Amino acid sequence: MVVQGIRKATVGQNGVGAFILQCKRLDFHYCDWAGSSKGMNSFLRNSLTKFAALNPQVEITVSPRPRRHPVIKGTYINGREKAICVRNLTKEQVLQKAELLRDANGEKLKKVTKPVKSINESVRGVWSPYHDGGIHV
Amino acid sequence: MKRLRLERWSGQLFTARSTPASIRPCCLRQQQAALPPRIRFSSSAAALSDDLILEDGEELEEEFSSSSSDTKYPSPPLEAAFNSSKLAALHARLNLSQKLPLHTMARTLVDPSADSNADFNNAALSNLGGSIMSYHVSEWLLCTYPRLPMTVLFAAAYAYSGPKTLQMVGKEWGVETAAAPGGEVDPGYLQFSKLKPGQGLQTQVGSIRPDSKSYYRRGMSSRVVYDDEFGDTVPKQAENDLPLPTEHAYASFVKAVVGSVYLHSGSAAAKTFVTNHILSRYLQIASLFQFREPVRELSRLCAREGFEYPVARIVSETGRRSRHPVFVVGIFSGADKLGEGAGPSLGEARTRACVHALKAWYLYSPGSNVRVPSEMEVAGAKEWEPVHIDIGEVIH
Repeated sequence: MVVQGIRKATVGQNGVGAFILQCKRLDFHYCDWAGSSKGMNSFLRNSLTKFAALNPQVEITVSPRPRRHPVIKGTYINGREKAICVRNLTKEQVLQKAELLRDANGEKLKKVTKPVKSINESVRGVWSPYHDGGIHV
Repeated sequence: MKRLRLERWSGQLFTARSTPASIRPCCLRQQQAALPPRIRFSSSAAALSDDLILEDGEELEEEFSSSSSDTKYPSPPLEAAFNSSKLAALHARLNLSQKLPLHTMARTLVDPSADSNADFNNAALSNLGGSIMSYHVSEWLLCTYPRLPMTVLFAAAYAYSGPKTLQMVGKEWGVETAAAPGGEVDPGYLQFSKLKPGQGLQTQVGSIRPDSKSYYRRGMSSRVVYDDEFGDTVPKQAENDLPLPTEHAYASFVKAVVGSVYLHSGSAAAKTFVTNHILSRYLQIASLFQFREPVRELSRLCAREGFEYPVARIVSETGRRSRHPVFVVGIFSGADKLGEGAGPSLGEARTRACVHALKAWYLYSPGSNVRVPSEMEVAGAKEWEPVHIDIGEVIH
């Protein structure tokens, strides 16, 4: 055995081949009494069924959170959580926030400065001083 | 070729629980398979006994009549699969066909270490799915990189479908493990007995190889014949119901999903599933090589292929007498440059150049979308053109 194989693991590239939505679960918390939950309650009564039917890959739970502001919590495949307080928002605005959480990938927000991120090696290669004819002084 | 009637085989997955499983008559299983899948077995005994026809007059077990049957069984009951939002979300997330029912999906998540009853764990599905997955991975590797040495081929198969990768795949699907297996657990969790902290792994006892002594040399050719798809020995008796590491539980779950896709949706769907989830992952095969004697191996290669004897020549250099010299050495066979490498000494640069040349030889590929044998299963496929077959490694 002159050549030996080194054991490694492949790296997943979500979206190349299969795409897995990164939002696993959305928890909707509401309060029956407080006024800040008005829009949330209206969303739960009228729009949640449609939202859930359109997004079968997200597990949805609804639970009361008495005497607190309404909150939507997203749980992601990378293990992180994102919570958005939807106090005093209208039904449509709550839907927007739910869609924002659904589309997020769970990573911390960061500034994207380069348009392309790749794990492939550079095709061109790194510039080498030894292949350029050298510098003649 | 005659088509396989897979839906007939998948009927056996709809069995209701009854102990002991092994002595249950086959006719009873058929009756249950014909029931509508949404029936709840624990709702009432009367409704069930109307539907079930027992040919040998066997009495129904009390398990069916009790309403709190969840805790009696080591894994969740059939009806729990339809009430689990986690499981339905997982099914939708993987974009699986509606032909694959939720209770099969629930069964893929039950490891033999959680439920030893073969009718309710994923052992059979995982066995089936594992062979389908390794078939597609190996045919793709062999056709895309026909010159890979056997050791590297084993390593590449391990990288694509080994337990470490499959654990990552399972986690990337959003599957979590249950703290402990049981009938009351949500069927959307992966259930297996976990190893306790400090508990050692079970060492493998024996193998299916015919060697009479354990220290006998295990050559490459014999690994192809006797060992598994990664070149590891296959244990003689696999103990299924012992606690196992998380990565093995995840691996058998992912394999079981492939198996259930094959069983319910057919071989084309299973191939697409493997291509999308396993073969689409990123791997630099060039990084799997480890050469012991690259210079000797390259000279043997040139002799075998009838190339001129390889000669190392300095392409450029800098700082020979300094603290940080750099030499760029090229390997030439006649007028052809086979490879090039840079290093801090002439020997190092030559070795790197040889490794470069050997990798260029071994990683020959006819293209990434080369035809594979399984494409011939499609009706009306073009005639098969033989793929490139290499004569093998340079030095064994």
